[in-house]
Amino acid sequence: MLAIGVEAMSMLSNPTFLFYQFMNSISLGMNLFIIATGLTLILGVLRVINFAHGAFFMFGAYVCWSTVTFLGGAVGSFWLGVVAAAVVLGAMAFVIERGLLRYLYGREHLTQLLFTFAIVLIVGDVAKMIWGTDQYNVPYPHGLGGAVDFGFAKYPSYPLLLCVIGLVVAVGMWLALSKTRWGRIIRAATQDREMLAALGMNVPLVYTGVFVIGSALAGIGGALAAPRVAVSPGMDATIIIECFIIVIIGGLGSLWGSFLGALALGFVTMFGTVIFPDWELVLAYILMLGLLLWRPWGLFGHEEEEPH
Amino acid sequence: MKRLIANSETKDKLGARTKVAVAGAAALSVALLSGMGSAGAADIKIGVLYPISGGGAIYGGPAMRGHDLAVEEINATGGVLGSKFVTVARDSKINPAAAAAAAKELITKEGVNVILGGLASSVGLAISEVARREEVIYIATIPKTIKLTTSKLHPYVFRTASNTDFEGDAMAQIVKKVNGKKLCDIQLDYAYGHDLGDGIAKALPKHAPGANIVMKLRPKLGATDFNAYITQIMGAGCETVVSGLWGNHFVNFAKQAAPFGFFKDHVYITGGEIASHEVASKLAGDYPDNVWSNTYELWYHSPTGAHKKFQARLAKKAGTNATAMWPVLAYNGVMLYKAAVEKAGSTDAAKVIKAMEGLTIDTPMGSLTVDAKSHQTNTGQFWGPMKKQSGEAYRRMEPVTFVPPPSK
Repeated sequence: MLAIGVEAMSMLSNPTFLFYQFMNSISLGMNLFIIATGLTLILGVLRVINFAHGAFFMFGAYVCWSTVTFLGGAVGSFWLGVVAAAVVLGAMAFVIERGLLRYLYGREHLTQLLFTFAIVLIVGDVAKMIWGTDQYNVPYPHGLGGAVDFGFAKYPSYPLLLCVIGLVVAVGMWLALSKTRWGRIIRAATQDREMLAALGMNVPLVYTGVFVIGSALAGIGGALAAPRVAVSPGMDATIIIECFIIVIIGGLGSLWGSFLGALALGFVTMFGTVIFPDWELVLAYILMLGLLLWRPWGLFGHEEEEPH
Repeated sequence: MKRLIANSETKDKLGARTKVAVAGAAALSVALLSGMGSAGAADIKIGVLYPISGGGAIYGGPAMRGHDLAVEEINATGGVLGSKFVTVARDSKINPAAAAAAAKELITKEGVNVILGGLASSVGLAISEVARREEVIYIATIPKTIKLTTSKLHPYVFRTASNTDFEGDAMAQIVKKVNGKKLCDIQLDYAYGHDLGDGIAKALPKHAPGANIVMKLRPKLGATDFNAYITQIMGAGCETVVSGLWGNHFVNFAKQAAPFGFFKDHVYITGGEIASHEVASKLAGDYPDNVWSNTYELWYHSPTGAHKKFQARLAKKAGTNATAMWPVLAYNGVMLYKAAVEKAGSTDAAKVIKAMEGLTIDTPMGSLTVDAKSHQTNTGQFWGPMKKQSGEAYRRMEPVTFVPPPSK
């Protein structure tokens, strides 16, 4: 087994291979970031650990498949599928937050945890009722099934595009959060919601809005992942763990924290599987543990103050 | 789209007379359940374990269809020794611990006469261990790890599936056929993957002595991102890939590898039934070139008249002519048990074991004989290249070659 690692080490001196792995790491990181950023947003504002985020991701992939299939795979149908995933997940999140979740804000974390876990099971079963247990294939969007030639190597266009989309989402979220009035309100809600309410802000509306946007991002993440993986029950199995690792590394509620966390996880996964093939499963956890020992509040998080 | 329409129809139907229907269904199911519970002493209880939730449901669902078809046919012709077969189904998932617990419950609480099924090799080994301890017969219909019928063999376990040695041997023959020299071996990191890797390595010197495995990769079971492995294979400079990535693992691998031009530069020889209808229909136009694979059954290729009839019944049950591959495996398992009970004249485990050893039965895929020593049946598979068809996106195996188990 050790020989495999040594063989891979010799590969690391191959520049083309390094380039591939570098790009693989970034595209995996960016796909994860789009999903995890929704989770961290919800966690930061609502203080709810939303276990259902992974199930929303899967649901988004299914919605995308249905849209593409309904439109007969026409040009642009994939992008409509991404929009549809955002809209459907946003609507679902609206109903869940307004109808159920809001009654649990004052409760202890365990109740909320159980609630979101129940949502995982319900969403999973609803998906099974609608789409059955079959696996589905979403083709690459038109013109993106090939590769871009960099001269010294080719890299597939679709994952390249994911890198760009991840960056756009990051910058867009940052602008929205730092430059707009609603962004400031959301940031204020992460700091001190009582004060925000005392200032006459409609805090419940902020909560609904954040839950809807966060869940829509999970849906978008699922739709964007769909062309690269089989859409099927169980595709949400590992994503929620990966998202939690990212959120913990980055610091709860931090946008750039989850951006860096996602990239770190991308690099650790891609290079870890090559250099330490036997340790593939635990590398991400080692990364998380090491960081927790060093900075328990994550890269960009803040030390929790005692509630006053 | 079809599915969406089908669902909206169901919804409409549900909308009308819902209350009456639900009440009726509830009453009926209570009646059925109580009927099952008290399952008269005369009934023969078949415990069956397939994954019917989560990722494995894609295979467990069709397998259950084949199982049900067999039980229906047997009961329609008067059952066995005057008794009816009654199925008690449980979810094995892709989880050895869950499957072992379910198997134990089937035996101790439900008192089943036999256990059939399993899908993942790790699950098959777990069920087999329970069967050994509880002294109940287990017929593995899908798990292929060689250990089930070698190092972990015990009197109560039988297998109607192929195994990793048969599969590895057939793959080595194809390596020879395509003149493969530098091979990369990519297998899932669990019982099936490891044993198939061993099976290939054992058979290569026999069939393709000029071929060398230059790289071994072991992604984990359930992996969805194969990019790190794809780039390693590309960096290793092998022209042939041998693999056992099955189901969604292959779908994901193929989708991620194709844009690199991977399948233009590599011949991809794979076990794990990638030639089955399940995979071919799902990938359709995205099915890659240069793939050689295997399958137990093909709806478009009838080797026997019995298969033609079986496939027609299955098509009727499934509502489509293009039927899945997994049903025939579950079907054959039930039929083997039936034949053994008939021969033994009893459901007593010791007598049925004795009857099953050396037993030959006719199946839709031809005759099947249980080896008295290894408890392995001589199950062969179809192997061949997957060819693009004119006028349809669906790939078919062409030519179809039946590869029998290697002679000892």
